[in-house]
Amino acid sequence: MSELPILSAILLCPLVALVITILLPESKATAIKVVNALAGLVTLGLSLVVWFQYDKSAGGYQMVEDVPWVADLGIRYTVAVDGISVVLTLLNAIVFFTGVLSMWTLQKRVKEFFAFMALLVFGVFGVFISLDIFVFFFFYEVAVLPMYPLIAIWGSTRKEYSAMKLTLFLMVGSALLFPGLIALFVESGGQTWNLVALSEPGTFSEGFQIFVYPLLYVGFGILAGMWPFHSWSPIGHVAAPTAVSMLHAGVLMKLGAFGILRIAIGVLPLGAAYWAPTFAFAATVGIVYGAFVAMRQTDFKYVIGFSSVSHMGIVLLGLNTLGVDGTNGAVFQMFAHGIMTALFFSAVGFIYDQTHDRDIRNFGGLAGQIPVATSFFIIAALCGMGVPGFASFWAELLVFIEALRVFPALGIAAIAGLIFTAAYILRVLGKAIFGPQNPKWDHLVEPTAWLTIPRIILIAVLLFFGFVPSVMLDMIGSATGGK
Amino acid sequence: MNQPELFCPEFALLLGALLSFACTAIGTTTRVAWLVSITVALIAVGTSAVALSYQGQPFDAGMYSVDAFSQVLKLGISVALAFAIAISQRQDSTRASARTEVHFVLYLSALGMMMLVSATELLTLYIALELSAYGLYILAALHKRERLGSEAAAKYILFGAAASAISLYGISLIYGATQSTYISVIAASGGSPLLIVGIVLTLAGVLYKLAAFPVHAWAPDTYQGAPHEASVFLATASKVAAVGLLLRVLSMAGGETEHLKTLLIVVAVLSMSVGNLSALFQKDFKRLLGFSAVAHAGYLLLGLLTFSELGAAAAIFYVLTYVPIVVCAFLVVAAVSQNGANPSIASLAGLYKRSPFLGLVLLVAMFGLAGIPPTPGLAGKWFLFSAVIEDGHLWLVLVAAINATISLYYYLLVVKSAYLSPPGDAPAITLSPTYSVTAFVAVVLVMFSGFYPAPVWSMAKAAASLLF
Repeated sequence: MSELPILSAILLCPLVALVITILLPESKATAIKVVNALAGLVTLGLSLVVWFQYDKSAGGYQMVEDVPWVADLGIRYTVAVDGISVVLTLLNAIVFFTGVLSMWTLQKRVKEFFAFMALLVFGVFGVFISLDIFVFFFFYEVAVLPMYPLIAIWGSTRKEYSAMKLTLFLMVGSALLFPGLIALFVESGGQTWNLVALSEPGTFSEGFQIFVYPLLYVGFGILAGMWPFHSWSPIGHVAAPTAVSMLHAGVLMKLGAFGILRIAIGVLPLGAAYWAPTFAFAATVGIVYGAFVAMRQTDFKYVIGFSSVSHMGIVLLGLNTLGVDGTNGAVFQMFAHGIMTALFFSAVGFIYDQTHDRDIRNFGGLAGQIPVATSFFIIAALCGMGVPGFASFWAELLVFIEALRVFPALGIAAIAGLIFTAAYILRVLGKAIFGPQNPKWDHLVEPTAWLTIPRIILIAVLLFFGFVPSVMLDMIGSATGGK
Repeated sequence: MNQPELFCPEFALLLGALLSFACTAIGTTTRVAWLVSITVALIAVGTSAVALSYQGQPFDAGMYSVDAFSQVLKLGISVALAFAIAISQRQDSTRASARTEVHFVLYLSALGMMMLVSATELLTLYIALELSAYGLYILAALHKRERLGSEAAAKYILFGAAASAISLYGISLIYGATQSTYISVIAASGGSPLLIVGIVLTLAGVLYKLAAFPVHAWAPDTYQGAPHEASVFLATASKVAAVGLLLRVLSMAGGETEHLKTLLIVVAVLSMSVGNLSALFQKDFKRLLGFSAVAHAGYLLLGLLTFSELGAAAAIFYVLTYVPIVVCAFLVVAAVSQNGANPSIASLAGLYKRSPFLGLVLLVAMFGLAGIPPTPGLAGKWFLFSAVIEDGHLWLVLVAAINATISLYYYLLVVKSAYLSPPGDAPAITLSPTYSVTAFVAVVLVMFSGFYPAPVWSMAKAAASLLF
């Protein structure tokens, strides 16, 4: 372990970028972008350092930093990582860096955009590494609110409505979390907010766990896009600008799933066991329903938006199996889906920036017109179908195997949902990417080399973990206790 | 009077009042009067900070107590006063003939509030209450559009007089029940039904000051109709004093808190709900802040109704951090206001472009009121809710948290107007140096206590530990 407080350094990067962004004048747009890209690069580097420094054989929480924050209330700034946090921290760093690069051509109110985005990323990093419930929730709320201006100012398609709906949905989630989280503190004797201490078996009675668990699960679940509280998510995706969609689907929704895993299931295992069948059912409905609705969409982004509901359903189903393989698969899927969706949105965003059109019916044969740009889309689509060779294949496989073991009926239904997934993805590919060319779009140009960099990074990550999943599973397994 | 140094924050305000009065008497320009006032106000803040650790009884034993509790709140009051005076540099909304008098009245009212949080004897307390109120009655009437000002003042004074009369009746019942007007003696007497009735009636005047349901109706009208500097003083200093007063009054119940608790739960829930739901439909920014103040009175009551050290500390923390947040909001009001007119929410359009810094100040204020980190609004709510859950009312926290969600909607509407709507042909806003510095200080206070709540919390905790 190093002496350098590396986790705080990661946390500080976006904050420093934020302060510099605020201090720079609006006219220095390029400087602002460079500062944020650098911050992204540094966090990416530091996240990789964390990855390699983390001792997988030892497992548990490492690189602990612990400072009292509000001492006499027992609130402490405690940050540390386990295998799951390591993975998600890396995910956030990748999405942050590639997100900044994807917004390189942004012209409108550049300064404010990057300021809000840095604030969001700051919050997300904080959530992934916090071990204190108050600090966790503090960062959680920091991460959620910048979505409002980011979508409402830079978005498209009913952006104000979507932004407000998204924010209010997420705040209803927070309203459930408030009593749930504080009850943990009070019930445990009012001494500590530390998640590790609260996770000790025997801290909470079974009755209390069963009572509080749904507050936490649904509170976090809303952000994870759980059915039936998912409706904010697709419209939010559609309205958001590219980098925000990437962050939103790529990392923000993961906060919800992470909250469920770390706090709801981690602290209240008996409550989780009691409620698992119910919430697994809801997750399965989400998988099938999301895929079903995605089949009928005509807007590229709506297709991806509903596919996110479906894919996050897989994450939630995996978590609800409460088994090692299911949890491993769920975390792997969180990572894979984050990267994949970032690639999806960045590919669609590129097309939309040129055409200002996202209606699938208006396109045809794009593969012949802009082969490089569409290849990114195709790769994301294949990954979305769970084709072997991509990271999500392994993730989904693990979740489904475990689901078949624990909830056979739900497992079969979820796997059947994959057929719809294949159907909606092939439909988009067949209609817009292949098929007869629409001469209207003959003038489209390919992305510049600079713009392909973020996409290539994302694809490389997907392929790497698709072919060498053991690297990922070893890391996650060090936290969940299995491979 | 023994140990006169204990009284020094009050002396500073008395000095300010006399000097402002001298300025009006010799007819100086408003600029000189303002300079004198702001200087003394800053001295008063310094004095209050120095006096934080003072303890003792400057008058007869049991009448007037200087302790950690009173001194923390006095610091809050003097900071709020300094902010109000700083904002009064631009007196567009104040009647021209009264611009120099404003400071005199502000000082007197703040003096009343300081005495209020130290008073531990019911008649002293009542006199301090009236001293603080009279100043505000006058302030509320000074809007330059006379009709608006008269309406604001009339509502405020009528409600105030009625509430004050009920309080006085309550005090007489308390005296009847315990044969004493000393709070310490009353608290030790053991609660009789008559005492509880007396306390409930006394609460009328206190809740009025806090702008809690059912004596809240003056708040939106008075906020809207008073000059900006009076509104900000009313919204900040008055709230701080009200929390102090409420804690003193409630401490008289001794151990008999059951019925009071039920009553306060009802009052808290209704204040939050009525305040937030009414605020949803407001077009006038100051009026919206008025309803938001009613909702925040409800949150504050959450801490007070637990009758616990944690709850009292949470309420004190909440109100202290609330001061700079509300100052941010009113600073925007005063800076945007043209010729003293009240800004509507629509008139904030394009603020991000007209003055990026002011846009940021507004963002901080709205997120602060909504309880979004990194402002201390989140920590404040978290502490309050912790106290309530410790007291065993999980559902009450759920109600409050859903209320906070509702409130987010109208705060976001303000943000939306400022950040999304184009400025149209509205001119850019240049802030005066005073306003820039004031805004900067307020934002720094908000951000600091948001990222690092520990210092304010330990002050609040020390204050609360004296009561429970």
